[in-house]
Amino acid sequence: MWQTKMANNQPDSTVSSPVSRRTFVKAVGGTGAAAGLAGCTGGGGNGNNQSGKTTEKSTTTSSMSTTTSSSSSGGKTTISWAANPQMSDNADKVKEALYNAGLSKDIEIKLISGAWETGKRQQKYQLWLSQQKATPDLLLMDSGWTIPFIARNQLMNLSDALSGDVVKGIQNDYFGSSLSSAQDHDGNVFGVPFFPALPTMQYRKDLVKKAGYDPEGEDWATKGISWKKFSEVTAKTKKQAGTKYGFTFQAKAYEGLSCCDFNEWMSSFGGAYFGGLDNLFGPIGDRPITVDEKPVLDAIKMVRTFINGQSDPHSLDGYTGNIAPESVLQWSEETSRKPFTNGDAVMHRNWPYSIKINGKDKNFGTDLGVMPVPWGVKASDAKYKGTGGVVASLGGWNNTVNPSTEHKEAALEVLKTTMTDSFILDMFELIGYLPPKPKLFNSDKAKSAPVMGRYMDTLKVAGENAVPRPVTVAWPSESTKISQDVNAALGGQMSPSDAMSKLKQQLNAIEQSA
Amino acid sequence: MSTDNRQTNTAPSGGFSLLGWTEQLSETQFAYLLLVPTFLVLGIIAFWPLLRTFQISLHKDALIGAKAFGSFVALQNYQQLLTGTGSVAAMLSRPFLPDVTLSGSFPFVDVKNVFTSAFSVTLIFAVVSVAFETVIGFGQALVLDQNFRGRRWVRVAIIVPWAVPVVIQGMIFYLLFQPNIGFVVGPLHQWGLLSSTPLSNSQDSLFIVIVADIWKTSAFMALLILAGLQSIDRGLYEVAEVAGASPWQRFRQITLPLVLPTVMVAMLFRSIQAMRVFGIINTVSSCSTVPSLTCLTYTAWSQRLYGSSATVAFMTAAIIALLVGFYIFKYREEAV
Repeated sequence: MWQTKMANNQPDSTVSSPVSRRTFVKAVGGTGAAAGLAGCTGGGGNGNNQSGKTTEKSTTTSSMSTTTSSSSSGGKTTISWAANPQMSDNADKVKEALYNAGLSKDIEIKLISGAWETGKRQQKYQLWLSQQKATPDLLLMDSGWTIPFIARNQLMNLSDALSGDVVKGIQNDYFGSSLSSAQDHDGNVFGVPFFPALPTMQYRKDLVKKAGYDPEGEDWATKGISWKKFSEVTAKTKKQAGTKYGFTFQAKAYEGLSCCDFNEWMSSFGGAYFGGLDNLFGPIGDRPITVDEKPVLDAIKMVRTFINGQSDPHSLDGYTGNIAPESVLQWSEETSRKPFTNGDAVMHRNWPYSIKINGKDKNFGTDLGVMPVPWGVKASDAKYKGTGGVVASLGGWNNTVNPSTEHKEAALEVLKTTMTDSFILDMFELIGYLPPKPKLFNSDKAKSAPVMGRYMDTLKVAGENAVPRPVTVAWPSESTKISQDVNAALGGQMSPSDAMSKLKQQLNAIEQSA
Repeated sequence: MSTDNRQTNTAPSGGFSLLGWTEQLSETQFAYLLLVPTFLVLGIIAFWPLLRTFQISLHKDALIGAKAFGSFVALQNYQQLLTGTGSVAAMLSRPFLPDVTLSGSFPFVDVKNVFTSAFSVTLIFAVVSVAFETVIGFGQALVLDQNFRGRRWVRVAIIVPWAVPVVIQGMIFYLLFQPNIGFVVGPLHQWGLLSSTPLSNSQDSLFIVIVADIWKTSAFMALLILAGLQSIDRGLYEVAEVAGASPWQRFRQITLPLVLPTVMVAMLFRSIQAMRVFGIINTVSSCSTVPSLTCLTYTAWSQRLYGSSATVAFMTAAIIALLVGFYIFKYREEAV
């Protein structure tokens, strides 16, 4: 058909086809070469243009390094800091707080906004650090995945880089559990805790009081209560106040279950993933796996009782049931918070951000009570040291330094400034980040902060009883299996003991493979 | 012009000799010559990544140290993936293949983890969704092919789901199947069709994801099949009608054979897409609950298990290649 058309178009020419081939190949070759050249020139020009300007949105390393070098030549050094979106949203105030805390005006700060979702941030950092890019100079890292970066030699060893006094200060002044998420096996410090995230139990103080309890008299805020009492209080208050739910929490099969909710139940009963807390960070493959022990099974049975009541074949004796909806198996932070904020629940377990929301005057104001997450067994009766009693699973973020930075001194200067009390308290006031140093919880400035100030005593207790997740290089794989099996056990797809035996096997396989 | 030609032929030098050479080629050879740039571009954007993925899949995962992947282990990753043993199987978020054990009594085969193994989940999703989408899409196309009042509105109604972005579609189904928010969980649970928390149950979630996909993608099938229907010569129907053929006979003897090649192509496109399903799973449920092949690749990649991730990715590509091969084979059979 193609040939016919060609022939029809040029009926007079007997050699029409070869000639048009010549012309065609020539034309295409010529156009291609011209387009290629134009593309190269255009691309080059474009590149130059891009590197000459520093757009707010641009996070590409090329543009950042250009910024750094050009600024350096003008006598100033720019330090780029990969931080949280809330910080870049308040960039001017964060910078002002740094200068107020004594940072040299010769150092300029460029805040780079990271993704909201922690996993995405981790991938981006992975890319930057694997390529040994010089920027960002400082990186804010989730305490849940700082250790894998340490294991891959991708962070600056601060024990070497900072003076002995400063390192000692970090070791003495910060929450020990926060710091342990940024150290290697030999105790070398690779990150400085920036703010801890500590979960607590929020409750409707007004409803609980009406049901006949006395949270203030019994000092729930710092002493906490047992899970057994908690279940009674919730059931009675729910019945009396006629709320839709009793207790809302997070039990979806996701990181939040394995790192946090389940970790808390298990620890509060004296159980642990890998025996004592000494084994939290390794040695991988050479530590006991203790997820099939009684305290862990009891914790699962208790939550099944909360959901299904005593009719559940795997309920825990002595605990009041039917206080939590089955939907918790699909809920994460926000899905579980909303019913509580709407007034549909009595109790709610969540991170500090939600205290700030629920404690606003337009929501519950001073009717919001906050206490530590309850205890299953007393710390003195717990099988493993560091477990039992009131607990809080530890979240939070650490500041780390890029080992390939071209401005090591300036970067360390900024890091040291972030460790000053003045800057930490400014961040608490500005964004609501909890201080990483226990002593600051008692400061006047912290206690006078709106909403959060009222609950500082409880948050301090949570910080002192924080249990970190067992982060090692194997944790991402282990966490997935834990959340799958625990969710299945809570949902009744498996019995607690079957689920935990299966989990033990899976964890063992991972430990042996890592 | 012909004089120029002769000159070039007698004096072959530089670029002109190449031009002269092109004139000696047969039509087929010349056609292939023109395709060379396309092949080069395709090679760079398609085959090179595939080869690189294969190369990475021959290495161990590196959990410690700055390197992206570890030592060369030849095909060991594939062996571990398929047998469910070793480090690859241990570290992946869900198994690749279900547990199959043979037994002496009926039904002789015991299959476990069907709804939590990547291959079986993906296969169930692809087969069920494509089958329903084809049938529903065909039905919609037949309706749209008729002339009736308000046809324009029916067309819009059918196409609307196709225009909904996957995140919004995901949100719709996520909320629909959230107990206490969506209205469908209660009744479906009472009739015994779903558990009370379907989005945390692998089997229920797979069902929901399939329904969501059918809802959205039937329109795509309908559009492709409609194009096929409209290319059928209307005269054939007139002749058949005159000859006294019933509507069913007309469908069976004219519509179906003539539209079948289009349906096959549409099914091929959909099957390739379905085997790579990810977005709808990630928005409605989670990769942990409904582990498709792409989900497995993605979770392994985000856990920095590059060797394992590349192995699953390459296996996925191989499975899709087999599927495409099957369709092409059937298509040629149809054509013959």
